[in-house]
Parts: sequence; C-alpha cells; structure tokens
Amino acid sequence: MLRVVVAVAVKDLRAELRGRELLPALAQFVVLALVIAEFAFDVDGSTAPRLAPGILWLVLVFAGLVAFGRAFAAEKESGSLEALLLTPAGAGAIFAGKTLAAAATLVACELVLLPAMAVFLGSPISVEVVATVLVATVGMAALGCLLAALAAQTRARELLLPVLALPIWIPFVVVGGRAVQAAMSGQSLAAMPLAGQPLLVLADLDVLFLVVASLAARVVLDD
Amino acid sequence: MTENRGLYALAAVAVAAMLVAAWTIFLYAPQDALQGPVQRIFYLHVSSAIAAFGCFALVVAGSVVYLWRGSLRGDRLGRAGAVVGLVFTTNTIVMGMIYAKPIWNWDPTQTWDATLTSTVVLWCMYAGYLLVRRFATPGRPAMRFAAIVGILGFVDVPVIYFSVQWWRTLHPGHVLLTARGPQLPPQMLLAFLVTMVATLYLAGVLVAVRYRLEAWRDAREDREVAAQLELASSAGAR
Repeated sequence: MLRVVVAVAVKDLRAELRGRELLPALAQFVVLALVIAEFAFDVDGSTAPRLAPGILWLVLVFAGLVAFGRAFAAEKESGSLEALLLTPAGAGAIFAGKTLAAAATLVACELVLLPAMAVFLGSPISVEVVATVLVATVGMAALGCLLAALAAQTRARELLLPVLALPIWIPFVVVGGRAVQAAMSGQSLAAMPLAGQPLLVLADLDVLFLVVASLAARVVLDD
Repeated sequence: MTENRGLYALAAVAVAAMLVAAWTIFLYAPQDALQGPVQRIFYLHVSSAIAAFGCFALVVAGSVVYLWRGSLRGDRLGRAGAVVGLVFTTNTIVMGMIYAKPIWNWDPTQTWDATLTSTVVLWCMYAGYLLVRRFATPGRPAMRFAAIVGILGFVDVPVIYFSVQWWRTLHPGHVLLTARGPQLPPQMLLAFLVTMVATLYLAGVLVAVRYRLEAWRDAREDREVAAQLELASSAGAR
C-alpha cells in the first residue's frame, strides 16, 4: 500500500519535473496574484500588516484550485486515469499518492508565495506562519484532490471544482486565517490557550478530512 | 390523476396547517415588549431553519443508503431533499436579514457570525450538490458523486460553525433548549411549536411531491432506454 502511494506520488512529481509545466505557471500565477492584490487593495506601509494574511489565503486557495485541478485533469486528458485504475493498485492508494504529489506542488507554491509576500508586502516569515500554512495544506490537499477527482469525471470540471472546493475549505481559511493574523502581528501562537490552539485545530481538521477523503476516494474513483 | 389524490390531500392539509400557523403568529402570540412586531418573524425563521436541516438530513440519509445499497430510492430521496432544503434555507436567510435589519441595525461587516456563515455555506454546498448532478454523466456516476458531496457538506457545516465560534457570535443563542427550560412565554412557545410542526409538515409534503416527480422522471428515462433497446434489437434482427 505505502509503496504504491509513494510510487504514484513519485510518478506525478517526476512527470512534473520533466515537463516543467505546472510549477513555473503556478509560480507566475502566485506572483501575479500578489501584484493584482497590491494594486486592488492599494497597499501601503500602514495597511499591509492588516491585509497580508487575507491576501495570503486568497492566493493560496486559488493556487490550490489550479494545482489540484491539474492533478486529475492531466490524467483524464491523456486517458491514463482509466489505465491507472486498471492496475492492481487500490483506488485508495492511487488517490493518496496523487494527493501527496499535489500537496507537494502546493508546498512549492508556498515556497514562492511566502518570500514574495515578504518582498512585496513586507510580511514577516516566522516559523509559526510556515507551520500554519503547511499543516493547512495537508487537509486542503486531501479535500481538494477528492473533489478534483470527482470534477475531472464530469463535463465542466473547471467550473465544478471551485464551486465544490471553496465552501469545503472554509474551516481551513477561518482557523488558518486567524493563526496567520496572530503570527504576523507578532503574537506567539504558543501563548494561546490549548483549546483554541490553531495548529492543533488545523491538525484535527487534517485528520478528520484525511479519513473522510480516503473513505470517499474509493467511491469517487471506482467505476 | 387518481394516483395523486393522496398527495393533493396532504398538500391541502399543509395549506390549512400553515394558515393555522399564521393565525398563531399574527393574532394569538403576544407582541414582544422589546423587539415589537418584527419579533413575529422569529417563529417562521427558526422553523424554516429546522425544516432545512431536516431536509439536508434526508439528503445524507438517502446518500448513505445509495452508497451502501445502490438503491435508486435513496438517491431520489436525496434529490428531493436537496431541492426542498435549498428553498427553506433561502427562506431562512432572507427572513433572517429582514429580522436583523431593525434589531442589529444590519451592518454586513459586523454579522459574520457562526450561525450566519454556516447557513450561507450550507446553501452553497447543496447548490453544489445540484450542480454536480447537472454536470456529471447522468445515471450512476451522477448519483455516486452527488452522494459524496451530500455527505461531505453535512460533515463540513458543523466544522465551519465551530471554527467561526472563535469570533464573538452575535446571533442569539438558544432560547428553547436551555438548562432552565424554554425561555419563552407560554403563548409564544405555543405559537412557535404550532409553526414548527406546520413548517416541518409542509417540508415533508414538498419532499413527497418532489419524490413523486423524480420517480416519474426515472420511469420515463427507463421507458426511453427500453424503447431504444427494442429499436436496436429489431434493427439487429433484420
């Protein structure tokens, strides 16, 4: 099972590294989104700290839609999704592998996004900001890939994925948004009470949605 | 027409029940001392919210049955529940806005609280549920995908509710289910209970009507497929 997961993830990442299609486009997307935000919000020194966490989540969510959408759309276009499902590997393992690869892609986006935000908006990069974004990525990838797998098998996948994924991601944006806001304004997340500890809440959400997505993946991928 | 007689009777009772509810709301229940006549929205506002939740619970039940047994009836129940639930959610949101205008001095930036946010997201989730049905290949794939979305939405909404509770919540808490019993005067409580029962009944009748409609639609599709198969086999015989 684990070998299949890793094999599928490595396959996706290798295809990406050889083709170099998605990553450059996503990096450009992230930078352009920041430029748009800069002009749209008319950001200056006094408003930047207030707006930066919101801009971070907006860009991250939309970059996620593109990254996860591609994960299954590319397979569908080349007709290799059926082939992949015909192999003895279980649908759950294939799904987990693709999720892993898509999560890695989104992490790569974040590697561009956070430094770019530091340059454009002067937002501090702290361990807490990085940890929040990484922990949120896990759950978002599980849900995003599940819905991308679903949307890829319908007629209007570009349309359906945002409509389904955006409302479902709201818990991550709510908790993560608050955590990033606190971390960027210099509050220590460790000082927050344990019950409302955003990283723990995000980790809980990760576990919940990983379980739900892995249960649902078999139904979505199984014809 | 005769096969619908039962549904017509149920619908007539629903109209009568809603009229009784209107009577209790506008004539029987006393005026609220603090909020004035606007408070009368409360009865139907809360009742529609409960009815909407009931409908979406039916969607989840239908989806689980469909995934478990592959039963068309479960899927049909999901289809019927989602449409009726969306209508009641819309009703709840619109009435809530009208209610909030004089009471909270409606300021959209100040009203992103847990109950409101999760209701709006609930609406989006089940609108998405209907969209999935429209875009997926009709038949089994559409049913499978819709069932997943129907269940996922129901899991997500409480999570959103509790995530937003981090912020201070403006929406009034529970006046009915408190440790000290209902916090409403008896006449208001009675008006509320009558309205709630009438609304739930109305929702049930609407789901039943919709279910019948979907059953006909399925039957028509079956007939069309059977006719085409027959055509194909007779062409093959020649």
